[in-house]
Amino acid sequence: MHCDDFSRTDADRRSALTRPISRRRLLQAGLGATISLYAARAMPLARALQAGEASAAAAPNAPVLVNVFIPGGLDLLDTLVPTGAYGRYADLRPVLKVAAPVDVGGGFGMHPTLTQGLNGGLKGVYDRGRLGFIPGIDYANPDLSHFNSRHFWETGLISLNPGPGWLARWVDRNGDPENPFQGLSMDAGLSPLLRGAGKPVAAVQSPDDAQSWVPGVWGEWQDRMMEHYSAIAARRPGAPGPAAVFAAARQSQYVARTLKPYVKNDDTDVDPLAPPVAYPGGENGEGTNGFAENLRYLAAMLALPLGIRVATVEAPGDFDTHDGQAQTLNTDLGKVSEGLSAFQADLEARGIAERVLTIVWTEFGRRPKENSSAGTDHGAGGIAWVMGARARGGLLTPYPDLNTFDEDDNLKVTVDFRAVYASLLEQWLGTGADEVLPDAGRVGRVQLVAAG
Amino acid sequence: MGRSRRGSRWTRAHAERLLWRAGFGATPKEIDFWADRSRERAIDWLVHGGRGPHGAKRMVGPAPRANGKPLDPINEWGHDMLWWLDKMVRSQRPLQEKLTLFWHDHFATRDEDAPLMLAQNRKQRQHALGTFPALLSAMTTDPAMQSFLSLVDSDKADPNENYARELMELFTLGVTGGYTEHDVREAARALTGFKGNYRDGRPLTIAYVPDRHDDGTKRLLGQRGRLNWQDVLRIVVKHKSHAPFLVSKLWSFFVTEPLPPATRRRLARVYVGSHHRIAPVVREILASRALYADLHEPKMVKWPIVQIAGNLRMVGRGVDTDDWAWISDMMGQRPFSPPSVAGWDWGAAWMSTATMRARFLCATYITKEPPVAVKKGTVDPSWKPAEHVERARAATGRPWTSPTTDHQLLALARRFLAINVKPGGEVPQYQAELTQAALRHLLLSGPDASLH
Repeated sequence: MHCDDFSRTDADRRSALTRPISRRRLLQAGLGATISLYAARAMPLARALQAGEASAAAAPNAPVLVNVFIPGGLDLLDTLVPTGAYGRYADLRPVLKVAAPVDVGGGFGMHPTLTQGLNGGLKGVYDRGRLGFIPGIDYANPDLSHFNSRHFWETGLISLNPGPGWLARWVDRNGDPENPFQGLSMDAGLSPLLRGAGKPVAAVQSPDDAQSWVPGVWGEWQDRMMEHYSAIAARRPGAPGPAAVFAAARQSQYVARTLKPYVKNDDTDVDPLAPPVAYPGGENGEGTNGFAENLRYLAAMLALPLGIRVATVEAPGDFDTHDGQAQTLNTDLGKVSEGLSAFQADLEARGIAERVLTIVWTEFGRRPKENSSAGTDHGAGGIAWVMGARARGGLLTPYPDLNTFDEDDNLKVTVDFRAVYASLLEQWLGTGADEVLPDAGRVGRVQLVAAG
Repeated sequence: MGRSRRGSRWTRAHAERLLWRAGFGATPKEIDFWADRSRERAIDWLVHGGRGPHGAKRMVGPAPRANGKPLDPINEWGHDMLWWLDKMVRSQRPLQEKLTLFWHDHFATRDEDAPLMLAQNRKQRQHALGTFPALLSAMTTDPAMQSFLSLVDSDKADPNENYARELMELFTLGVTGGYTEHDVREAARALTGFKGNYRDGRPLTIAYVPDRHDDGTKRLLGQRGRLNWQDVLRIVVKHKSHAPFLVSKLWSFFVTEPLPPATRRRLARVYVGSHHRIAPVVREILASRALYADLHEPKMVKWPIVQIAGNLRMVGRGVDTDDWAWISDMMGQRPFSPPSVAGWDWGAAWMSTATMRARFLCATYITKEPPVAVKKGTVDPSWKPAEHVERARAATGRPWTSPTTDHQLLALARRFLAINVKPGGEVPQYQAELTQAALRHLLLSGPDASLH
């Protein structure tokens, strides 16, 4: 079902059409082959590692925060089912109720699709103590507009004024003046979380995606041509528009050059970034689970000395389940579980899991009482979780009471999302919270990182 | 900017600036045509139409096609924007088309059925240079707009505030325009009464049903009465914040220099004095000295669709492929799909590593096809470096370049032509062609090409 304000969300980034079409069209045009053919005999690794290497070398074990957005407003009750109060739950969800939640103890059960994926899916990650749920997350007086609520989460401010994303502010405060990889959107466009940064940030989906081709100019000739492009882009005009254009030109070339050695060779099928674990969706994941494909490249790029510090990924599907909630969760939540559990297994296999923490969020919760279309309407008190080798496992915040709702019949909020942001900044990134979040002083904290 | 200063210098560079800012660029011949006349005649033609470089023709160039077939804007993905791109490329009323783009951004609507979106676009074109009240009335009653902002079916029992709020915040007064939440609620009541007629397979139509209108007394922006929707539009347009808000936005669409308060007052007087006609204000802006500031160093970032349309226009190529739909999307602007009701963010916000790479790709798709593609056998191996650069400029419609770029183009030509020289100093044919291909691409892909 189409809800009135959903249209107000960010088209560029969220258009379901963008990715498959651009990728497919590029492949149709034979670009993948052109690029890879050349990359096969491309420059040695050493040359590729420049500013990123410098900042990565300065802090090789610097913590990385991965931010995964689940669009539409994922339902808490059917994702982490309150089996301890199943009767009340079933009263609220006579049609939708999950018949056989997978017990995780403590009076809770997971949606069955969360067992999908490597090593038992997200349930497996949870059982190993590497996943901590944050039920009831939202903010006081929740705004039930997708657009407004996302904007709050994206900026870390309860304000409709335009402004840079909270991760952009973190980059500005703590980032490197030259390295665009430090703030990375695994997407065709920059996530609003990173938009507005004064320091360089990047949007790229894969090494292949970062490359360009020039008709009639190939191989070392293109390298030479790009040297002249870079010489042109080295100019630093003062006015804001030209300054942004020239910075983007320099940074996009830097990203392309740096990632060029890692482009998959379509002819020999040699993929320098081949993952150590099996991701869902077949060899290249295309068409079936683009989310997993983005995570696969992210894990591989995190293992390179690129100096990535914060990264954003968007989950597949649309969880705005005004109707057909059960079907959506069965298909799309399974993809989330498959992608994230493969990502976690990959990081562990690469031996870099200790320095990566993933936060998964959605813009709001859903109404506890189901509607008449086998769905749920916009509500409050949603769900988020942290995942990682050093994440604190279990339930990290109180689960909302199913018997007392707010005045709009929504769940009562048990934790402010800004408390989670502030905790991530302090406990994980090890930087001050109030310099990024003006409200950090009054929102409290949640222990998100395991002791020791 | 004083009246006495207008009508001062008029050179080719002035004509080029005017045709880019008030349109989508032009061929070198068209620029020469206007450079040989006067600023007044050029502006007259832009504002009123009439005889121009192509006589009285309204459209110049081949009809649009994609995959060898005529466009199907209603049913084929991306053909809606191609249908419009064709007008941007071929129209001999480029200012009307440019302002249609302005109004699309101003009254940003998305996600509605293609027939409704195209109908809305036609209204924006029809009123582009007309009177603002007529345009505002057409937009308020427009089915795509009403559906997008929940005005349709807003009735006295449950007035929806969505349209009322955006009407004041985005369309007429600005966020600091001096209205209150109370004004939003009262306007929402006054705007009730539109009822949608939904029939399967037919576009939405809207009727006004007096019975559904709240005909009670309202108080809006200091005026009291049994206000209806026409009263609301009349009141907001007459409000003191409206004229300064609208003329400021129009100014920033055409000019990068800040708007001096005295000029803003003068433009507001022109606007109000003409009974809210758009053309007189735009004419003043196009004649202002500030529009021609920094001719040697343009400071405005081209909107993505303006860069695509401009490239095609400069080289006299029509819309002959649907690739522009996804390329434009990757560049960060898909017409008919603005990111939100607030439209696109302009200026520096267009730029990121991903969108800059997409602009590079745009040059690739221009240079891989006629008339810009290097045709075998058309490059003379005896051309000297300077002649190569000159030929490349002529083949690409003579885009603006900075002295740094000029220097690099020449350096590239010298370097490319010096490699693999045969005994006797003869340059191999393929190498001459390669040089030409690299130069043409750099002329259209370098950062200069994103500025106008």
